[in-house]
Amino acid sequence: MPEIILNNVAKRFGKFVAVDNLNLHIESNSFITLLGPSGCGKTTTLRMIAGLETPTEGSISIDDKVVFDADRGINLPPNKRDVGFLFQNYALWPHMTVYQNIAFGLENLKWKKQDIRDRVSELLKMLRIEPFEKRYPAELSGGQQQRVAIARTLAPGPKVLFMDEPLSNLDAKLRMEMRTELKRLHRDTDSTFVYVTHDQLEAMTLSTNVCIMENGVLQQFAPPLVMYNNPANLFVADFMGNPTMNFIDGHLGVDGRLTFGGMTAMFGHSGEYLGERDVVVGIRPEYIHVGEGDLKATVYSTLPSGMETTVKLDVKGTSLTAVVFGDLDYAVDSEVSFSFHKAAVLFDKADGKNIAKGQLLSPAMGG
Amino acid sequence: MQQVRTGNLTMNRLRGRVKAWLSKPANIILLVFLVTLTALTLYPLLSMLVETVTIHTGREARASKLAAGTLSLYHFERLFATSENQYSWIQFYEPFLNTLLVSLSSSVIAILFGGVVAFLVTRTNLKYKKFVSAVFTFPYIMPAWTLALFWETFFKNVNIGLKTSNGIMASVFGVYAPEWFVYGAFPIALVLGLHYAPFAYILIGGILRNMDANLEEAATILKTSRPRIIWKITLPIVKPAMLSTFLLVFASSMSAYSVPVFLGSPVRYYVLSTKMKSLMDSYPGQAYIIVGVMILFGVGILLLNQKVTNSRKQFTTVTGKSGQISKINLGKANRPVAILLVIILLMVAVVPLVTFALESVIIKAGDYSLSNMTLDFWIGTALDKRLDQGDSTGILLNPKVWNALIFSLSLAVTCAIVAGTCGILVGYGVAKRRGSRLASWVNSLSFFPYLMPALAFGAIYLAMSSQIPWLRGFLLLALVGSVKYLPFASRSGVNAMLQLSGEIEEAAVITGVPWWKRMVRVIFPIQKSSFLSGYLLPMVSCMRELSLFVLLVPTSNTILTTMLMQYSEKGWAQFGNAINLLIIIVVLLVNFTVNKLTGASIDKGVGG
Amino acid sequence: MKKLLSLVLAAMLVLCCIPALADVAADVEAGQAMTHDELVEKALAESGTFVVYGNTSRIATAAEAFAALYGIPTEANNLKDQEIYTKLRNETGAGAASMVMIQDGAQLTDAIDEGLVINFVPASVKDKLDEKDQQPALVHQYINKLFIYNNLGDDVPAIRNVWELTDPAMKDRVIFKNPESEKVNMNFLVMCTKPEWSDKLAAAYEAWKGEPIDLGEYQNAGYKWIAEFLDNVTFGKSDTTIAEEVSQETAAGKIGLFVLSKLRSSSVLTDNLTVAQYDATAEGYEVNPFSGFMYPMYTMVNTKASRPYTGMLFIEYLMSQEGFQPWGKSIGAYSPNAEIAVNEGDLTIDVWKATTVMEDADYILENFEVEDFILLHCQK
Repeated sequence: MPEIILNNVAKRFGKFVAVDNLNLHIESNSFITLLGPSGCGKTTTLRMIAGLETPTEGSISIDDKVVFDADRGINLPPNKRDVGFLFQNYALWPHMTVYQNIAFGLENLKWKKQDIRDRVSELLKMLRIEPFEKRYPAELSGGQQQRVAIARTLAPGPKVLFMDEPLSNLDAKLRMEMRTELKRLHRDTDSTFVYVTHDQLEAMTLSTNVCIMENGVLQQFAPPLVMYNNPANLFVADFMGNPTMNFIDGHLGVDGRLTFGGMTAMFGHSGEYLGERDVVVGIRPEYIHVGEGDLKATVYSTLPSGMETTVKLDVKGTSLTAVVFGDLDYAVDSEVSFSFHKAAVLFDKADGKNIAKGQLLSPAMGG
Repeated sequence: MQQVRTGNLTMNRLRGRVKAWLSKPANIILLVFLVTLTALTLYPLLSMLVETVTIHTGREARASKLAAGTLSLYHFERLFATSENQYSWIQFYEPFLNTLLVSLSSSVIAILFGGVVAFLVTRTNLKYKKFVSAVFTFPYIMPAWTLALFWETFFKNVNIGLKTSNGIMASVFGVYAPEWFVYGAFPIALVLGLHYAPFAYILIGGILRNMDANLEEAATILKTSRPRIIWKITLPIVKPAMLSTFLLVFASSMSAYSVPVFLGSPVRYYVLSTKMKSLMDSYPGQAYIIVGVMILFGVGILLLNQKVTNSRKQFTTVTGKSGQISKINLGKANRPVAILLVIILLMVAVVPLVTFALESVIIKAGDYSLSNMTLDFWIGTALDKRLDQGDSTGILLNPKVWNALIFSLSLAVTCAIVAGTCGILVGYGVAKRRGSRLASWVNSLSFFPYLMPALAFGAIYLAMSSQIPWLRGFLLLALVGSVKYLPFASRSGVNAMLQLSGEIEEAAVITGVPWWKRMVRVIFPIQKSSFLSGYLLPMVSCMRELSLFVLLVPTSNTILTTMLMQYSEKGWAQFGNAINLLIIIVVLLVNFTVNKLTGASIDKGVGG
Repeated sequence: MKKLLSLVLAAMLVLCCIPALADVAADVEAGQAMTHDELVEKALAESGTFVVYGNTSRIATAAEAFAALYGIPTEANNLKDQEIYTKLRNETGAGAASMVMIQDGAQLTDAIDEGLVINFVPASVKDKLDEKDQQPALVHQYINKLFIYNNLGDDVPAIRNVWELTDPAMKDRVIFKNPESEKVNMNFLVMCTKPEWSDKLAAAYEAWKGEPIDLGEYQNAGYKWIAEFLDNVTFGKSDTTIAEEVSQETAAGKIGLFVLSKLRSSSVLTDNLTVAQYDATAEGYEVNPFSGFMYPMYTMVNTKASRPYTGMLFIEYLMSQEGFQPWGKSIGAYSPNAEIAVNEGDLTIDVWKATTVMEDADYILENFEVEDFILLHCQK
């Protein structure tokens, strides 16, 4: 039941800061996603926890055991950390058969011949790749290679499993399928998963907690739905969700009246008094209901996908994206009415931080 | 109390960092190579620099009127600024210009010839491709001067050079070649160009073979004409490879000694290397200045090369994803082009071998009738009584030849193993820590021996070994050979390692596979053929090396090449030709055996 | 980085214990006074490999016979003179030669001054040799390079006067080794400028042209001859190739300056060659003023010899009738020991001494700038 704790971990390459002052508490048995655009430090973080990269500062412990501490000069090698690592390009050894690929690590751990045999068979069965036992990696499809890589990683029964964008090389259909299997695998193996991806959908669907990073700095660490509904800042809000959240520049008056994109509304929330300031109003597309309410907009374009339709609206020059569920479509340039539902998030215009989550009450045109 | 704690803290942190740094084998490897290569390459360089400002006993002391051992710029003044008897012009400036001309032309010839053939083989439906690619590396396997010797004996005639005898071209075909064609800058550049063309073929061919065909296809879609595609797309992509070839060929041509001697001296055409050799006799200070100039030039081109390839890196991205490369259909031109190419290759690669075979069985030079032929020089006995010349038995029955062959082979194999293994390790270290200053230092140091002229390299090592009593004989030869040929191995090692994604090794690190086992069980097997080629190239070069070893061999019949030289000096041409042929056959045999057994070949050695 | 370097250097220093040099000089001094038997006894008492260097290929034959005679395994090594000097300078310990056979008196003088080699004169030959052949270095043999021409065709260059070689009609018909590549050739040309020879050359010029020499800007007749001679010369790679090439049937009209001993080579068509001096002698003339040049081959003990007494014994052997045999069996090599007769068909050493230019190390060393003049005329 391992938990992973990162304390003030930093990694610098010369002057370049890859990861800065990172604190993370990864609970046992969780499925954590490190999410962010490329170059944000997520892979570096993963590799530091695994021991493939040495942090410049801080300490890391896995399962109550300190595996790295810059101050105390502790640094356990990867193989002493009891972890598994699934690589982006699978890193299957091309000169070994599927069987040898899976067994190589076990031989190295001095397992008995028969135990190795049994364990490999078990994994081959579990990942449904038994027929390929004698094949070489080059003779397998991408999906099959992926399964072999997973089997190889799982073979020694690691308590923690690290995955570095493992699905990015698969086609869309296969990726979908593997996601389900990974989630199942997480349940079956009873271990802690740390997963790196730049795909927010993957992070949303798979993880128990998402850790989103930008330029080496942790932006928010929270369960995916919390993050979706109450993002810590503009960056997180923008990164999570597809289509992305609508951001409209606005002004919050002394009286709590919000002026934004040619509309006005009262901002109702349960928190402290916010005062007068410039803000960015964040509204999720699905909270804009088209075809009801008092607000008016022109349809700029529509993207019907069957299950839902993404509608681009033009409100007096401000562009809004809305999602309408069902197989509806609208004529381009026609006028429609719309209304805001559920939550909107206010971000400080100056630093982009989430200042409050609340409701847009009695919105109206003009202002 | 507080202070003590902070002190401990910093100590711990430092210890932790050092431990972490040392726990990476790549760091240890780089460190070890930094130290040894500094000792083995920079130290000789420094001691050479000291020689250029030291007055040596004998003529230098007498001419400069300075005591031996004095430090002085006398050599520089004499070599660069002596107008009396046009000394500086004769000893330095003119040979320097000649060297530039010859080295530049040979580089251009090598790039053109090797590049065009590489293009024909990889990008067109040329006929006889198999033969072309099999034979193309022959000229490199043969010592360069054998081609020069062949050129002279084939084209010489009574109108040129010594004007004493006719070669095959004149006596059999009645064609009398003009002097510029047989002696001087043109044939020197041509022979060196042909000798080093395999470098261009290997380097440029490697890029062309792996080049993403989409790049060309994209241009085809945009209705670009074929020549324009080659000019605007293909050429820029192979430009880095062309520059690498330029560096290799230029540096080698500059220090080539025997080819200019054979083809230049009859018409009094001198280059820096020939001047260096003759100055080494009486004015070593000036000779070492010339060596320094050559090295400076090499380093200059190396830096230029690095600069250009770095800024052009985006061009070299090789994905290898694209499927079928569309091959140009040569159409009606195919057969004539192929036949022309085959004829050229026969001329430079096969005819010399036949000539050597022929020259090794005739008794009186120039008489090719059957009655003048004998196999005595190969398998005869009691020859000294019958021929009053040479050894008493043919070379195949001569134990001295067999001893030399065994010594040469064990030397070549040892150098190959040492250089090849070090090359892999350097490749591993450099690739793992790529971008770090340590890695680029080691990378440059491991290439440096290539820029040192072999003769000077040997001389410096002889001087160095005089300080170290146990560094003698085989050990000394093996050390010098390994260092001198490390550049080949390290290049192929770095290339092979760069092609290998780091994850391949990390996947084994995670399960705790120890470093040596990762090297032996994972990394080596995957890049086997590239690595083996890194062994093959030093081995081939070692087998046919002369200048590097000539000062260091314990006795002149220790290795085949010095034995060959001794026989040629004595004028035992038949024995000389027979041994020459023996060397080439042994090298070809080793090459083919390794190729058949493992799939490795020289082609992959210098690797794209 | 710096630290590392100094560490390495320190490590190297530790490894390089400087071998204690046996006092070879004292041994040689003692050896000069020893009888043959005493030398043998001392030599047999020495251990280790016995190595010798020589820039004559026949040293191997002599070494084999020596090894058989005394049961001392001998490694003979045929090197170019410059390689021998380089090795003498740099080699120490068991692998280094104990004695050398070497040419180029000028460089040898420097090598003696530098303490690289020591002269050893065996007691057995001391009385049989001229003083000049004993000091400062023991001469083992003289070797001559002569004007030898192809005797075919109508335009046979049967020269009687070396000035004939400077005639414009001889352009590209004279073949010589590049003086830069073998020092004895350079020495010969330098010697031509010594007053002794330049005077003779001036006289020869007058004999040839019938008028006194007009030196122009040349310092003396030697310079003029060198310049005009080299202007007509083409350079051959080695004496062997020159001999072979001049002997070709297609080489009518050509003349070479190369070692007489090459006439023993089976690859040389000897019948097509005539030695200018022999020809002249037959007609009662001589080649005016010289028929070529002659230089000594010396034997010396290496100062760093690991087997100095064996080296001395080998020198004694080489100076004997038996030891000279490998060279003495054919023409072109002459022992300074008057008791060793020349080959049949060859002329005696006294004739050659009188008709060829001989090295004078002191003159060559003092007039090194003549070499620059020669180099200038080795240009196109």
